[in-house]
Amino acid sequence: MIRHWMRLIWNRKRANFLIMIEIFISFLVLEGVMLIAAQYAYNYRHPLGFSIENVWTITVDPKSHDDDASRTRDRETLRQLLRTLRDMPEVEAAAGTFTPPYGHSSWTSAVTTNGRWMDYSVNQVTDDFRDVFSVDLRRGRWFSREDDGATDQPLVINERFARAIFGDVDPIGRIIPQDPKPPSSDEPSGKATPMRVIGIVSEFRQHGEFSTLDNYAFRRNNLDDATSKMGMPNRVVIKVRPGTTAAFEEPMTHQLQAVAHDWSFEIKRVEDMRTDTLKEFLIPAIMLGTIACFLLLMVALGLTGVVWQNVTQRVREIGLRRAKGARIEDIHRQILGELAVMTSLALIIAVALVAQVPLLPLPAVFAMINGSAFAASIVISVLTIYGLTIGCGWYPARLATRIQPAEALHYE
Amino acid sequence: MLKNYIKIAFKVLLRRKFFTFISLFGISFTLTVLMVVTAFFDHTFGPMAPETQYQRTLAVQFACMYGDDGMWTSSAGYKLLDRYARGLTGVDRLSIFASPETVSSYINGQKVSSSLKRTDGDFWNILQFTFLEGGPYSSQDVDQAQFVAVINDATRQRFFGTSPAVGKTIEADGQRFRVVGVVADVSVVRSIPFADVWVPLTTAKTDTYKRELMGSFNALALAHDEAALDHIHDEFNARLAHVEMDNPKVYKTMVAPFETTFDSYARHLPNADRKSPESQGWKMVSTLVVLALLFMLLPAINLMNLNVSRILERSSEIGVRKAFGASSRTLVGQFVVENILLTLIGGLIGLVLSEIALQVVNASNLIEYAHLHLNPRVFLYGLGMALIFGMLSGVYPAWRMSRLNPVEALKGATR
Repeated sequence: MIRHWMRLIWNRKRANFLIMIEIFISFLVLEGVMLIAAQYAYNYRHPLGFSIENVWTITVDPKSHDDDASRTRDRETLRQLLRTLRDMPEVEAAAGTFTPPYGHSSWTSAVTTNGRWMDYSVNQVTDDFRDVFSVDLRRGRWFSREDDGATDQPLVINERFARAIFGDVDPIGRIIPQDPKPPSSDEPSGKATPMRVIGIVSEFRQHGEFSTLDNYAFRRNNLDDATSKMGMPNRVVIKVRPGTTAAFEEPMTHQLQAVAHDWSFEIKRVEDMRTDTLKEFLIPAIMLGTIACFLLLMVALGLTGVVWQNVTQRVREIGLRRAKGARIEDIHRQILGELAVMTSLALIIAVALVAQVPLLPLPAVFAMINGSAFAASIVISVLTIYGLTIGCGWYPARLATRIQPAEALHYE
Repeated sequence: MLKNYIKIAFKVLLRRKFFTFISLFGISFTLTVLMVVTAFFDHTFGPMAPETQYQRTLAVQFACMYGDDGMWTSSAGYKLLDRYARGLTGVDRLSIFASPETVSSYINGQKVSSSLKRTDGDFWNILQFTFLEGGPYSSQDVDQAQFVAVINDATRQRFFGTSPAVGKTIEADGQRFRVVGVVADVSVVRSIPFADVWVPLTTAKTDTYKRELMGSFNALALAHDEAALDHIHDEFNARLAHVEMDNPKVYKTMVAPFETTFDSYARHLPNADRKSPESQGWKMVSTLVVLALLFMLLPAINLMNLNVSRILERSSEIGVRKAFGASSRTLVGQFVVENILLTLIGGLIGLVLSEIALQVVNASNLIEYAHLHLNPRVFLYGLGMALIFGMLSGVYPAWRMSRLNPVEALKGATR
């Protein structure tokens, strides 16, 4: 029977080819949106690894020229600022950092281990950072005075990164193995400080619920060390006591200003930053989704029209079949069957094409796509397109069954 | 002739209303999306107050320095612009101003965040702001580092409610400014004029900015006439070749072109060449055209399908016309005109829908201080897109129709 349908489709190949192209493109559009949705849903189900309850960030800008002398001076000023903050009764903990959660900024680095290139996000923090964000430490320990004067650079990394580097071996206390850099690079000949893993956190997804799951590492920035050549953390994060209101911002700013006259301070609640970040993820996705919905609605109406038109054109053929004893269900099945075959042909090509995407050497954006989310998006898209085309054919196919053989045969 | 085509087209449209509805739905939706996007671009880049002398202005809003191993892109520093951008031939006025920074103020314990822009005095001479109260600060005010401020209408509302603001004081980022003028709100997407509060750049907390080649400053030049624009771009470029770099081992070359806002934005595209001082705008244009065509593809095929499936409806008409000697080309012309008429009707509906969509965007406050609306420019773009869409979706079905065999067509049968 399918072979018969194929022949009928072939007989009207030019018109049907155009319909198949339409189904093909519709699938690509739907798949694009579904992929984003599936990836978001996948990401959303994973924990963040921190809590932002009662956490505020203060962006500090020393407005100074970036040279060694002013850096040392600024680091000292920041140390005093943090002490001032900790002395306030409303503040439970205060720390310095570079890239706080939902802060829009990111800092990435990479290690090459046994020829394997691994990207990771970095954050440099002071020791109190863990208390501010209630970072979910799983094994080992967090930064502390113990790390003062350490010859290696202490590192706290997330479980995913630990697994990527060390596999099943316990990473605590180990140095991250790094391949020597190619000699061509212009860096100073002195070897980079080895990085030693001292703790493992479950996760730290600084860009929030919808962001991809990536490798993460914390480095320690010790403001007490006056000889350090590290930059000054440009964000201060504080955890305030529950019930502290925005009214506290003003006296706090005045006190900070008293310590550092020339500096600028910008206070934000991480909760508000979260809302903004989620919006940035969701608004483009919702816009794309809305446009895709309209496109599909348009395709659905168009297909209905086309199938309807086809049915009215094939009155004589259908009439003849009815006269030769075909039942109503047969006609109905034939119209829908032809549509299903065309949809299948278009989808086979489309899915075969889309399935190649992960195999292509594409930019990093595509590397973030999770396999199961990708598969799920394809399945959902395929089912939706089948539903769409069959749904569009349903009413016109019903119309076809109403054709009376006697009338149809002396049509015209 | 055309009149006849249009008459026939209307008859056909009214014949099967369900099909006309489907076609118009697709066309008007497609054109709505395209027109909303166009209106947004026009709002961002088109000439609009206070940039009334748009045709004669160029700005440096992007700077990049690079060497063999490194590249640093941001905005230019004050030193670069102050030392090298002044005194270019053909420039009537030059303004140097900072990119806006977010500052906090507290009003009765409530926090207010504002965008604060530090500018010089000529900023107010090049840009024609609408003053609701008072006036701008002068170059002398800037030289003497007077703590004066111009604020926008929204900021006046936040600080002073409905009462006049001139002469009163506002506190921002720990500094106190006396308000000298109030201007109408400027949309956040207009990168050159936008701010909530404008103050003299000499009121900055420290003067380290004066020593920086890279930083957060922009320059805006008002040319004597349009013919001088190319010259300004080239002369500044030539001067940049002799910039004294702070760290010539790492960064050897400086790129900071005088160009339009559109060209500056185009530099942030992934396919733009940031190291080139020449305009990258055409890359943005071509990217947008390709995206628009891709977006039109599905609706166009949808419309083609509908039209192809309706060929038979017209078979007797086509048969008669062919039998009386109409050439295929004449018929193709007729059907394309019909389709373009249909897309233009869809475009009109789309125009109404996009105005509604734009008002929704305005009301949603998604873009701060935006007054998105349709204007003659957007309308012309919309018309152009409707024509392209009409051609795209009309030619193939018209060709198919014109190829009907007259004998079969008269009989009203075909495959």
